[in-house]
Amino acid sequence: MIEIVGSKAVAVVNDAGRFGRFVWQTIVASVLSCAKTKTYPLIWAQMNIIGVRSVPIVMITGAFVGMILAVQAYDQLVSMGLEERLGVLINISVVKELGPVLAAVMLAGRVGGALTAELGTMNVTEQIDAVRSIGTNPIRYLVVPRVLACLLLTPALIIYGDLLGILGGYFVGVVQFKINSWAYWNFSAGGVELWDVLVGVIKGFFFGASIAVISCYKGFTCKEGAHGVGQACTEAFVASFISILALDYALAVIFKAIYNTFWSVRSLV
Amino acid sequence: MMTRRKKRKVKKDDETTEPSVIEGDGIIVIKDLTKKFGGNVVLDNISLTIEKGKTTVIIGPSGCGKTVLIKHIILLLRPSSGEIYFKGRRIDNLNENELYKVRTNYGFLFQGGALFDSLSVADNITFPIRQHYKVKYWSKFDEFVKTKLSMVGLEGFQKFYPSNLSGGQRKRVALARAIALNPEVILYDEPTTGLDPIRSDVINELILKLQRELGVTSVVVTHDMTSAYKIADRIIMLHNGKIIADGNAKHIREHPHPVVQQFIHGQVNEDDLAVLRASGTIFQTQFLPRDFEE
Repeated sequence: MIEIVGSKAVAVVNDAGRFGRFVWQTIVASVLSCAKTKTYPLIWAQMNIIGVRSVPIVMITGAFVGMILAVQAYDQLVSMGLEERLGVLINISVVKELGPVLAAVMLAGRVGGALTAELGTMNVTEQIDAVRSIGTNPIRYLVVPRVLACLLLTPALIIYGDLLGILGGYFVGVVQFKINSWAYWNFSAGGVELWDVLVGVIKGFFFGASIAVISCYKGFTCKEGAHGVGQACTEAFVASFISILALDYALAVIFKAIYNTFWSVRSLV
Repeated sequence: MMTRRKKRKVKKDDETTEPSVIEGDGIIVIKDLTKKFGGNVVLDNISLTIEKGKTTVIIGPSGCGKTVLIKHIILLLRPSSGEIYFKGRRIDNLNENELYKVRTNYGFLFQGGALFDSLSVADNITFPIRQHYKVKYWSKFDEFVKTKLSMVGLEGFQKFYPSNLSGGQRKRVALARAIALNPEVILYDEPTTGLDPIRSDVINELILKLQRELGVTSVVVTHDMTSAYKIADRIIMLHNGKIIADGNAKHIREHPHPVVQQFIHGQVNEDDLAVLRASGTIFQTQFLPRDFEE
């Protein structure tokens, strides 16, 4: 029993060490690649696959989040006579928390799964070894473009998701529940600060990087065969999902501290 | 350290456990190489010198460590212990970034071709060039691809994707990619496996042509004895992670070691036959679907 626990613990520590080294190599290669124009077409191609093709799914997710929030919150607010504040509730929830987190989860499923499956298949068919045998760093050629594309485009996708979330909430609130449009926007403008929007967008950089790095790592280390690739995809999604939630919590604490320290006194500065 | 430069004659006596070089200098030298996966010893203290400009064929039964050995030559795998030299320079202690430069001297033909699925045949062949050179004259690329494809007998396949090619065509495209950087050494991992006899012979002729015309050093891993006899200047046989025979085709044909004779003639041994006989007839051991019913 102790032997089993011990060997599992050693395996976890080994895996953590390998992941840490992979992350470090990715960071170094990303910084170096930024200076090389040869990498730009690869990043551009990945931006199309990862970013552009994810726009519809992220926008649909955002729209439904806004609409569902409106339906759920309306009755509560009406009972208190605060239905005109519906916009504040929806918009602040969407731009600060639900928009970024749900967009990132959608990306972890759509993009993360695809990255792991693609790199995992390349791994088991020796294509990654082929890249190495040609004298090319596979992290620079395969991982960096995907990580940079995810890093740069997740915030942009979050903005799309936020936009549709706001419009979805507006549609249900104003068109379906007949809330006064002017009051809806007026209260929203008073309640949602630029800071709230920024927090959501900045979270996107962290979510995007974590999804890409975890998915690429799982693809690079996947086991032989169809079962190995399938298992790697599942592990990549689960690990990405947990990392999104953990990062969301950590960033919420950090941004709250920053807000309390600096943002509230920005007018004095 | 410089023993790799020594010329040693092929042992003509019975069992050759010590590696030897037929003639010429060693471009690749392996000293006391051991590779373990967990507790499983795959390569056991192997020493070997690969001659420049010659074709060395490594044979042996499946799972004996041939592919593991060839991957050590290009350091796609790291040895558990031992040393590997390329052109007199020790390379097994280099870090991965230093190795990328060393690897440009090698071409590697993988067993399944390992062509990049997402790239066309032309892009696969030009991939090494695009990775290592700043390309200014893109128009020359068409000519380059055409030349490489004509070398492997696949003119007109530039725009095809790997999924549209047969197994033999993939291997030939992979070979065209492997020679893109005009490497000094080409490593072939089972180049004829899975091909019909005619396609296998096409690959053999290509290997010979590359050696004749470009003077490359070739290391071929195979268990196809027809291919081995045709292309080899020297044949090495691995068994249980050790070299048990080393010499030219004639030497291998006449080698007294029973495992070598059994392998080159493709014969099952008495022990395996005894196991088959002991398991009874097929009729006795066959289950019918109704046997699983209540």
